[in-house]
Amino acid sequence: MAALCSEFGDLVQIKKQLISVISLCKERGLVHSIMFSLLMHEHVAYVFELEEDAQDMDALGLAKSYFDLKEYDRAAYFLRGCSSQKAYFLYMYSRYLSGEKKKDDETVDSLGPLEKGQVRNEALRELRVELSKKHSAGELDGFTLYLYGVVLRKLDLLKEAVDVFVEATHALPLHWGAWLELCNLITNIDMLKSLSLPDCWIRDFFIAHMYTELQMIKEALQKYQSLIESGFSKSTYIVSQIAVAYHNIRDIDQALALFNELREQDPFRIENMDTFSNLLYVRSMKPELSYLAHNLVGIDKYRVETCCVIGNYYSLRSQHEKAALYFQRALKLNPRCLGAWTLMGHEYMEMKNTSAAIQAYRHAIEVNKRDYRAWYGLGQTYEILKMPFYCLYYYRKAHQLRPNDSRMLVALGESYEKLSQHVEAKKCYWRAYTVGDVERMALLKLAKLHEQLNESDDAAQCYIIYIQDIFSCGEQLEHAEVSTALRYLGQYYFKNKLYEEASLCAQRCCDYNDAREEGKALLRQISQVRDHMEASNTTPVRRVSPLDLSSFSP
Amino acid sequence: MASVHESLYFNPMMTNGVVHANVFGIKDWVTPYKISVLALLYEMTTSKPIALQERRRLNKLILPLQQGPDLTLDQFLKTVEECCPQTAYAVKLRLHEMADGELKDMEYFFATLPTPFSAIDSEAYKTSVVGLFMRHMLLAYNKLSFSQVYKLYKALQQYYHSHYSQPGDVQVGLPALAADDSDMDLTSTEDNVGERMEKEELDTRPEVVDRGPLSQKQAEYFLARQAYLLKNDENKALKPSALQDELNNMLKFNPDFAEAHYLSYLNSMRVQDIFISTHSLLHYFDRLILSGSEGKSNGDEGYGRSLRYAALNLAALHCRFGHYQQADLALQEAIRIAQESNDHVCLQHCLSWLYTLEQMKGSDSSVLTEDSVKMAAHFCLPYLVSLGIQSLVQQGAVQGKTAHELMDALKDTDILHWKHSLSELIDISLAQTTSIWRMYGKSTMAQQQAQLLLNMNSLEQVNFGVQQNNTEAFAVALCHLAELHAEQGLYGAVSEVLKHLKEQFPPHTQHAKLWMLCDLKIQFDRAMNDGKYHLAEPHVTAIAALNKTEGLYRKAQVLKALNRTTEAYSILQRLQLYCEKTKYTEMIIRVMLVTAELHWESSGFATALPLLLQALALARQHHLQALASETILHLAFTQLMLGVPEQALGVLHEAMEPILAHGAVMDKGRALLLAARCQMAMAGTRSNGQKHAALGLAVQSLGEAAAYFSMLDCKERLRDVHYLQARLHHTLGQTPQRNKCAMLFRLLDQELQAPGAPLL
Repeated sequence: MAALCSEFGDLVQIKKQLISVISLCKERGLVHSIMFSLLMHEHVAYVFELEEDAQDMDALGLAKSYFDLKEYDRAAYFLRGCSSQKAYFLYMYSRYLSGEKKKDDETVDSLGPLEKGQVRNEALRELRVELSKKHSAGELDGFTLYLYGVVLRKLDLLKEAVDVFVEATHALPLHWGAWLELCNLITNIDMLKSLSLPDCWIRDFFIAHMYTELQMIKEALQKYQSLIESGFSKSTYIVSQIAVAYHNIRDIDQALALFNELREQDPFRIENMDTFSNLLYVRSMKPELSYLAHNLVGIDKYRVETCCVIGNYYSLRSQHEKAALYFQRALKLNPRCLGAWTLMGHEYMEMKNTSAAIQAYRHAIEVNKRDYRAWYGLGQTYEILKMPFYCLYYYRKAHQLRPNDSRMLVALGESYEKLSQHVEAKKCYWRAYTVGDVERMALLKLAKLHEQLNESDDAAQCYIIYIQDIFSCGEQLEHAEVSTALRYLGQYYFKNKLYEEASLCAQRCCDYNDAREEGKALLRQISQVRDHMEASNTTPVRRVSPLDLSSFSP
Repeated sequence: MASVHESLYFNPMMTNGVVHANVFGIKDWVTPYKISVLALLYEMTTSKPIALQERRRLNKLILPLQQGPDLTLDQFLKTVEECCPQTAYAVKLRLHEMADGELKDMEYFFATLPTPFSAIDSEAYKTSVVGLFMRHMLLAYNKLSFSQVYKLYKALQQYYHSHYSQPGDVQVGLPALAADDSDMDLTSTEDNVGERMEKEELDTRPEVVDRGPLSQKQAEYFLARQAYLLKNDENKALKPSALQDELNNMLKFNPDFAEAHYLSYLNSMRVQDIFISTHSLLHYFDRLILSGSEGKSNGDEGYGRSLRYAALNLAALHCRFGHYQQADLALQEAIRIAQESNDHVCLQHCLSWLYTLEQMKGSDSSVLTEDSVKMAAHFCLPYLVSLGIQSLVQQGAVQGKTAHELMDALKDTDILHWKHSLSELIDISLAQTTSIWRMYGKSTMAQQQAQLLLNMNSLEQVNFGVQQNNTEAFAVALCHLAELHAEQGLYGAVSEVLKHLKEQFPPHTQHAKLWMLCDLKIQFDRAMNDGKYHLAEPHVTAIAALNKTEGLYRKAQVLKALNRTTEAYSILQRLQLYCEKTKYTEMIIRVMLVTAELHWESSGFATALPLLLQALALARQHHLQALASETILHLAFTQLMLGVPEQALGVLHEAMEPILAHGAVMDKGRALLLAARCQMAMAGTRSNGQKHAALGLAVQSLGEAAAYFSMLDCKERLRDVHYLQARLHHTLGQTPQRNKCAMLFRLLDQELQAPGAPLL
């Protein structure tokens, strides 16, 4: 008892102890203990009536711990009188977050279903008024400017918000949050170019990020490459960004390699893993996807990314109901998660539930109008419903968003073909080929279309390019129809009396099971005609340059 | 941190990836305004006797108050006060009790509301409008959670106190009550209340954007009303931009309200915005497909049905914008899927669109139309049947079917219309009859039919105070009326009709082109009659912009009047070829007449003769009496010039009767002038006594002609008439009359030749 009394008597001692234990706890992240100590400390400080500056510091510490415990109103209350910039930021920021939190709570229990869109963060207006006063007086530092920008953006004052964010980046270039916010507000390259941004190394990161967002992948990759060369090679951030960029241009091998590297460096990373799982899905790498899914569940099963990975996993195993369930879970965790809406749409498509698929895609579009996959998915849905004209609109939208993606062009071409709009269809297929056909189907379709329309020269030309294309890319494609092309070319050369080339094609035909018989028949025909020709001896008319197959081997 | 910034709104109504707007089936919920309405109803059902007149006014108010958007307390109290100040005061008192009291006062209020299930005798019985509303409200109130009730109470307090924050409205209470109570004229207020409500609603529109969300009921009512107005009286609907704002607002609060997308489609059609209209249409059907699938998954009633109609609507959209090829493709698609699922009704709709499309493309579609009528009759679709018949009648009229066939067909459809109360088609039918009579040159009949249409009461049950619709039928009838009046030289009446048309169909609307063309034609004709060709010329370009054929025809007329014969001739040749291709008989005959006139100018009367005979044959074959009479006039003139006045007079007599009965004033004058000239020509060959008599007749005809021409203020012709009159009087030795006529002639001649005169 006496000991206790004496200990209490020595408040200075207590204060010192408290300060040390606070910093110890802080280092170990024990937030509740910090708060208790801080409360004690505040009391002690009150007894001592310390000078104002130190009091400010104490209040800040206490408020920070409340803030960490998500008790925003409480934090704001203890910060109300503080004058330092840091305290002011924390004061405003806790008020903002308190408003956001209340808004989220309200939405669940609003008065009616229609009111849910009306729930607003009531604090925003007051914050804006106060901040704009300070702003015009020039009293805001980088962080508060950032907060002001966020408030403006939430109030849909986008133009002002952009200005403020630019100002924030000038005031504090190293604060990545301001850059990220700016990134969300920039819609096109012209807007990006018109902004005057601070000249700092972080700016390069921002520009690279922006390029990725604006689907200017090549420029983005260049930028990242130069950043790696200048010494950021070990940064997981850059590696992940490059991987995502490769994913966007569908360079699957590169992206997979990078993701694997990323996982080695940072095995418990959850961010971006949904993109990784997409890649694994596209390549149908079941074991790897399964491993990834199990691994992520072990780390944190209530993360949007985890749910998406599991959804992909089930989808690959053709358990589409379960896949849809997991995408739904992802959407419950974050309803603005765009990828999940689209993926869910795909799942419903697999389950032949077209109406639910349409709904899911529509939601994706509502979240982000620029989601080309959702538009494409809607187009596919209507195509399945046998409405080729109707789906044109959706494919066009998708094509508008990704003008250089051959898949949309091929889809457009197919729809036009179904509508007997041959001119448009041909244009689409040719364009699809010129922008770099991913699936290598455009030329074949174009050739077949020409064949149908009896434009044999054009058809032969297309088949020739097709064959060259297939052989030059080296890899074996499942759906490749080289035999069809060879068969047609053989017949074509035969008709045009180019017997050398015809027999070459016919011989090549014999390499394929489905065309062997025809190849042999053609060879026989050729030899017959040749016998004839030696008798009559006429020179053939050349129309299309003969196919040079010597350099390629099937 | 990013996740905190995103609005974490979780939708509790979502099951199976599908958002149900109303999982509880509640279409309404309690708001402070609804509490005020409840208070009003409570006062009305429970309180002391209210004067009968006031009660009636209040009763009329109930429905708009229940269905309309939420009003502020000011507006609400003002409206109630206009009906019954006493009740308004009571309502206000009750609200005051609640708002200035505690939460329990509101709870008490809801507890004391007459329960619709027990009160059998009162207006609040469970099946009545009031009872239903009360039940909705009670249900919605009882479903509120603790925090929601508190929030509602807070909202009520705010609602009530915001009323006081605006000064000037405070004295609404007692003093006004005493003043208004005594001598309120029943009839005047009673009629005004509704309108005033509307006006107030309109006045408050600009602020409306800030207004809270509508409940589903209110939204449905709003959409229904706006859609009805768009269809029937566009001027009364909100302005396109305001309506779009409203719709965007609605969609922001409830993105699942698909009907709003459809209205947005209709609205953007008004401003010819293909981009937004396509987008909205497709969005609507994407949503609809979902709601349709709730019942049966893929069957006839399921979303398969909406798919077909989606394609059909898309076809209609492209048709409206004149993209015929696109429309054709969409229509084929609709037909194909309708065929696959054996949906005959949809197929019929497709077929009727198909023939419309063919017609718009300018090809003959009568076979298709006939098929459509037969099939639609088989499937009992009266609307499509009579629409098809009307379309057939239109084609038949152009192609020269006999009048009695057409009239019979129209009569049959009319019976159908009245049987099924298809008011829209009745309007069209009347407008069509007007047009047909007009085409046949029976102006009186046409006028009568047009008046019939304009004076008819609408059959629509829900009228929303619309007196006259602004559908195409009305525009057509009014245009005919304007032209008929112009023919009779009643230009005052014409300008009034046109003014009305301009108000009813503002220039940006769909049918405005009709009156614009009509207006231009009338102005052009006037300028030509007055001989002010330079005034007529600018009209030609304007007419050509609206109607290419008509524009060419008018251009030829102007060129002819300006003596640029070669150009006029080449245009006429082109026009004739084109019209023969499109079977536009009326225009062919007119072109022939103008060509004949051109021949006159080069004195090629003999060459004009076969042309005129051909025109006459055509006009008779198609029963175009007005044109036939005009052709006869031309023929008679040619014969006169060829030196056979007896023949000319004989031919002329044939046309005289219909012209005097139905013709335009201009034609009457021309006919009489021609008759007089023939008579003069014949008199020259006769003996003296007969000559005098004949010349006397001619003088008489000339006098009548002069009267007609002066009605139209047609100076050139008037001058000719006076000249002839003077000559005749001279021959007859009537010096004073001769001098008078000569003087008139001189005056006119001076006026016409004065260089500055035409500009005035």
